[in-house]
Amino acid sequence: MKRILALLSSDIGRKALMGLTGLLMIGFLIMHMAANLLVPFSKEAYNAYSHTLTSSPQIYLITLVELALLALFAGHFVTGIVVTLKNWGARPVAYQRKDPAGGPSRKSLASSTMIYTGLVMLAFVPLHLATFKYGTVYEVATPTGEVRDLYRLAIEVFRNPLQSAWYLIALALLGAHAWHGFGSGFESLGVAHKVGLRRFGQALAVILMLGFMVVPVYVLLGGGAS
Amino acid sequence: MILDGKVPSGPIEAKWNNHKDHINLVNPANRRKHTVIVVGTGLAGASAAASLGELGYNVLALTILDSPRRSHSIAAQGGINAAKNYKNDGDSVFRLFYDTIKGGDYRAREGNVYRLAQVSVDIIDQCVAQGVPFAREYGGLLDNRSFGGAQVSRTFYARGATGQQLLIGAYSALMRQVDAGSVKILPRREMLDLVMVGGRARGIVCRNLITGQYERYAADAVLLCTGGYGNAYYLSTNAGNCNVTAGWRCARRGAYFANPSFAQIHPTCIPESGTHQSKLTLMSESLRNDGRVWVPKQGGDKRSASDIPESDRDYYLERRYPAFGNLVPRDVASRAAKAVCDEGRGVGATGRSVYLDFADAIKRLGEDVVRERYGNLFDMYQHISDENPYREPMRIYPAVHYTMGGLWVDYNLMSNLEGLFVLGEANFSDHGANRLGASALMQGLADGYFVIPYTLGNYIGGTKLETVTTDHDAFKEAQDSVDKRVKGLLAANGSKSVKEHHRGLGRVLWDRVGMARNRDGLQQALKEVTALRGEYQQNVRVVGKGETINKQLEYALRVDDFMEFADIMVRDALDREESCGCHFREEYQTEDGECQRNDGDYAYVAAWEFKGRDKEPALLKEPLEFKSAELKQRNYK
Amino acid sequence: MSTMTVKVRVWRQPSPDQEGRLVDYAVDNVVADMSFVEMIDVLNEQLVAKGEDTVAFDSDCREGICGSCGCVVNGVPHGPGTGKTACQLFMRAFTDGDTLVVEPFRAKAFPVLKDLCVDRGAFDRIIAAGGYISANTGAAQDGNQMLIGKDIAEKAFDAAACIGCGACVAACKNASAVLFVSAKVAHLSYLPQGQPERTRRVVRMVEQMEKEGFGACSNEGECEAVCPKEISTLHIQILQRDYLRAVLRGA
Repeated sequence: MKRILALLSSDIGRKALMGLTGLLMIGFLIMHMAANLLVPFSKEAYNAYSHTLTSSPQIYLITLVELALLALFAGHFVTGIVVTLKNWGARPVAYQRKDPAGGPSRKSLASSTMIYTGLVMLAFVPLHLATFKYGTVYEVATPTGEVRDLYRLAIEVFRNPLQSAWYLIALALLGAHAWHGFGSGFESLGVAHKVGLRRFGQALAVILMLGFMVVPVYVLLGGGAS
Repeated sequence: MILDGKVPSGPIEAKWNNHKDHINLVNPANRRKHTVIVVGTGLAGASAAASLGELGYNVLALTILDSPRRSHSIAAQGGINAAKNYKNDGDSVFRLFYDTIKGGDYRAREGNVYRLAQVSVDIIDQCVAQGVPFAREYGGLLDNRSFGGAQVSRTFYARGATGQQLLIGAYSALMRQVDAGSVKILPRREMLDLVMVGGRARGIVCRNLITGQYERYAADAVLLCTGGYGNAYYLSTNAGNCNVTAGWRCARRGAYFANPSFAQIHPTCIPESGTHQSKLTLMSESLRNDGRVWVPKQGGDKRSASDIPESDRDYYLERRYPAFGNLVPRDVASRAAKAVCDEGRGVGATGRSVYLDFADAIKRLGEDVVRERYGNLFDMYQHISDENPYREPMRIYPAVHYTMGGLWVDYNLMSNLEGLFVLGEANFSDHGANRLGASALMQGLADGYFVIPYTLGNYIGGTKLETVTTDHDAFKEAQDSVDKRVKGLLAANGSKSVKEHHRGLGRVLWDRVGMARNRDGLQQALKEVTALRGEYQQNVRVVGKGETINKQLEYALRVDDFMEFADIMVRDALDREESCGCHFREEYQTEDGECQRNDGDYAYVAAWEFKGRDKEPALLKEPLEFKSAELKQRNYK
Repeated sequence: MSTMTVKVRVWRQPSPDQEGRLVDYAVDNVVADMSFVEMIDVLNEQLVAKGEDTVAFDSDCREGICGSCGCVVNGVPHGPGTGKTACQLFMRAFTDGDTLVVEPFRAKAFPVLKDLCVDRGAFDRIIAAGGYISANTGAAQDGNQMLIGKDIAEKAFDAAACIGCGACVAACKNASAVLFVSAKVAHLSYLPQGQPERTRRVVRMVEQMEKEGFGACSNEGECEAVCPKEISTLHIQILQRDYLRAVLRGA
């Protein structure tokens, strides 16, 4: 505990924690996205997948994972906000003119807006949980019994263009966040900057973003119509 | 009056050790009761302050810059000599001593130079221990390169930034002592007067360059490590802030200034391109290891370098000095460049430059090897000149670089004023009339790391020092005189900027006390300098206020001192009716245009005593004896 | 040589506690071979002629090694181009009629003293906290007793090339000093001499860096892009690893 506190006393430690939590959340998002991709293909498979996760005894494990995710999320945001506020304080008088330096710099629109895209995620995640996890519970009969019809909820939600638009925007911002966050996260953990790793992270960010967009776009294009 | 350098007796190789064995010591518990002021934090100052701090003295270290790490030692590129003989090519302490004495054209003090060569080996060890990343061979051993004036490879280097790396080593040792509480750094402070109490140097008055306030510091000894005065010439390779003020202010308090006309003109600098130029940039002499110097055989040859065939090129250093070729000492190389340009064979738009050509080296070694050896120098050249030295030869011309002259010191590095020690380039002692390449870093660190820790202890341990505080009248008197100067300059409100005045002084010195000097020119210069000094007082314009950062005021004070100091530079050059090293009197040259020394009449150190503004200074002499290095005509043929 | 006229909008601030602002000047007779600081010299000569206070800026060696000079020119520390300080920025980078916006390095840890002069003492305090190898004068073994491979020596030099100018801090959106600190940590961590104090050094230097009020590293690499010595951000990972290892081991 003393060591963790020591770690949190410096920006290097805080950033390492931020990087670690961010990368773990990306790991979670990869699984989440993969599951979402079931939606256009099979209502049954999708519902079965979600049912499996929420059945006993896995539910205990999943609850633990959810708690861990909550901790990651909270840790990521708290360190992010603390570090950002300190960063803002580190330059009390702004430049009248500030240009990107170019050359080997990796500065991008994504890297410059991490706190903003992050804050959008801060708003998005609770709303998302309220909409789905704690949203309307439809039931559907399957050969193995009644299961929650999460598929129907998804179709209903995304049939609303406003909801879809909000999701598409949020997902684009998530992609931007991960675009810089993946490589940066590794660097904050002391993994030497490599162009390959960064490019991989950027590709992953795009895949995540597009992967998550599949469901709303599928629905907007008329998919899932009963 | 005859000055005594107080060189210990005995055989030359035993002098230093015998001396160390018999000098006074200061008990470790007592050291912290003694305050030492170190003015300047270049290699000499930082190494001295760090070493004295380690010993337990209470050290105050001043720098005019914002950090000790920026002192101009940082700009030394090529390397540092040491008689390690790692190359098994016959080097020894004696040879380094001999080369240095000979390179200095027999105008340095034997005892000091021998000691310098002795401690040179310890310097390398010390710097390695501090983490200085010297160049290494693949097997992990330290690498060496050759430098001018030597036939052995004894120069240690860290790419083209040896001075920087050595200074960072000394600076980090210094900062370690700051952390330990034994050294206090006073940045952005300029020493403007020395305070003498009871015939001893007991403190200084300085100006805080941020607030403009005067500050007084009392101490048991004052160490001047303030570098050289090459900026007297206006254009030089020195940094903008290098100046003679601290040294000259001590001279005004009675310290003797030795050999002030000995200013080294470095042969490999980037030529001047216009009047806007604020400094000349040196290209390390190490370039002469692989670069070949040439000009066209015919004057007025306007072809570009690559269009001039071998048969029309004159590799004049190789032709005139076959044994040393492009590696002749600096003074010889500089004069040779001046000579070919005076013949109208110079190249470039101004005709005041010669080629330094790497085409052969690139052919022989490949571009990669050349880049590895000199990459940063080539980049620097390209940045400044906008020409690519890998494709076309560099153009170089001599520029004022280093001043061998400085405050007179004895073997203990103490000036004639008790308690005032002078280290590094600021003193006169080790380089005679010409310094060999890679010896400045060596001397600065020798003085700071390995000489002053002993000799300062000798002084403090052997002297009864009564308590002096900054309330003493001498401090008040010094501060008042500083304030008067500052107010006078701010009130002058003339029509010419400090820079214009400085440029005028520089022109006189460069023309008359530069690479070639003669009696008529020097007598003329004496009048011109007096006139310039008078005009400066009347007609200088210093803008801004005294109570804030005011770079114009700082500059004005320094130029004021250069104006006074120039007088003894000229007198010194006039007095020395011989040619030696950098001091080339046209009247005294051999048939083939080399220096003609006069050892019978001029084998002495000329030390000048200030007698008052516009009064003739007194000349004191320290005779030089050469018992270990035989006096002979330098010959690099 | 043809001359040009440039407009200079330069930050004027009389003292640390007074407000500053950009002031416009036209500088005539600028030539391509002039360095940026020589152009400011020309401006200052104009101001002297008019009897006005000159623009205060730090400059010393004028050959890109001392690290004294530094200001932000057109939004980039040390101005456009790579691998050079402001004194090695030549006016050939600009054309007749250009406007140059000139500001001091801005960071809480680098308070403005006057005009373009800032106080970079924070860097010295960070070095004092541990940026050294404890080797008292006179106690060293022979330099060749310790073999150091050429590659190691070269790597150490790459990091040691830092001139402490502060451009990295000035360029960073967070005014982070991580590149500066990492260059020193890496320089000494690469070398065998630096090993005994490796842990203590990194912890103390990072602690001091925290105290000085610099921001955190966002891994953007603006610092490397403006660094006159092109110090690589790869050294930052040495700093992070050394620090994380030290802290997690309870140092």
